[in-house]
Amino acid sequence: MIRQVVTDVLLALAVLTVAASAIGLVVMPDAYSRLHYVTPAAVVAPVLVALGIFVAEGLDENTGETVLALVFMIAAAPFLSHATIRAIRVREAGDWRGHPPGEDTGNQPGNQPGNQPGNQPGNQPGNQPGDQRSDDDATAKGPQ
Amino acid sequence: MTSFVIAAVAMLVALVPAGIIIARGTAADAVIGFEFITSVAVMVFALLAEGFKRPSLFEFPVLVAMLLLGSGLVFVRALERWL
Repeated sequence: MIRQVVTDVLLALAVLTVAASAIGLVVMPDAYSRLHYVTPAAVVAPVLVALGIFVAEGLDENTGETVLALVFMIAAAPFLSHATIRAIRVREAGDWRGHPPGEDTGNQPGNQPGNQPGNQPGNQPGNQPGDQRSDDDATAKGPQ
Repeated sequence: MTSFVIAAVAMLVALVPAGIIIARGTAADAVIGFEFITSVAVMVFALLAEGFKRPSLFEFPVLVAMLLLGSGLVFVRALERWL
């Protein structure tokens, strides 16, 4: 009797977790937010189901196979979430960094406008990385 | 009808919102809906196997769980490159 009650409670919690995740999936505005709601259904609910089967059946081969499926799911969930977020980012921004590869960001050493020939008016041989002043700025300032 | 079968049916009903997302959302939303449905399907198969007392059917959720990562990555790759 106690076993039955505990099993029912565990299964009810699993169903509630999946239902809440499904609602979150619909309510959220964009794909980034929606992906958060896959994780409870992929990690929390399977644990509850496996526990429910374990309580009902005890330690037998059915429980073992359920735990095996659970292990595969828990191992796959973070990889899948990361890959999905990365793919969405690539679709939206062209690259997962947020800018296409090779595009100038202006904040990394060795990737300054002054280091690329012909990009800037101040691109003279004497310019150092990070020195983005144009010739006009340098002459207007005068000798120090 | 045992509590396992009832839980399996309830989880199947919870798949309807994911189906709506797949049908009406963008390609990214559809991939997320697919991942959700695959995760729930593993639990549904395990619950049905336990509910109907068919030990041989417990191999099915294991198989689906193994394929979850591979199929998900295939869809994600397609989303990233071609869709």
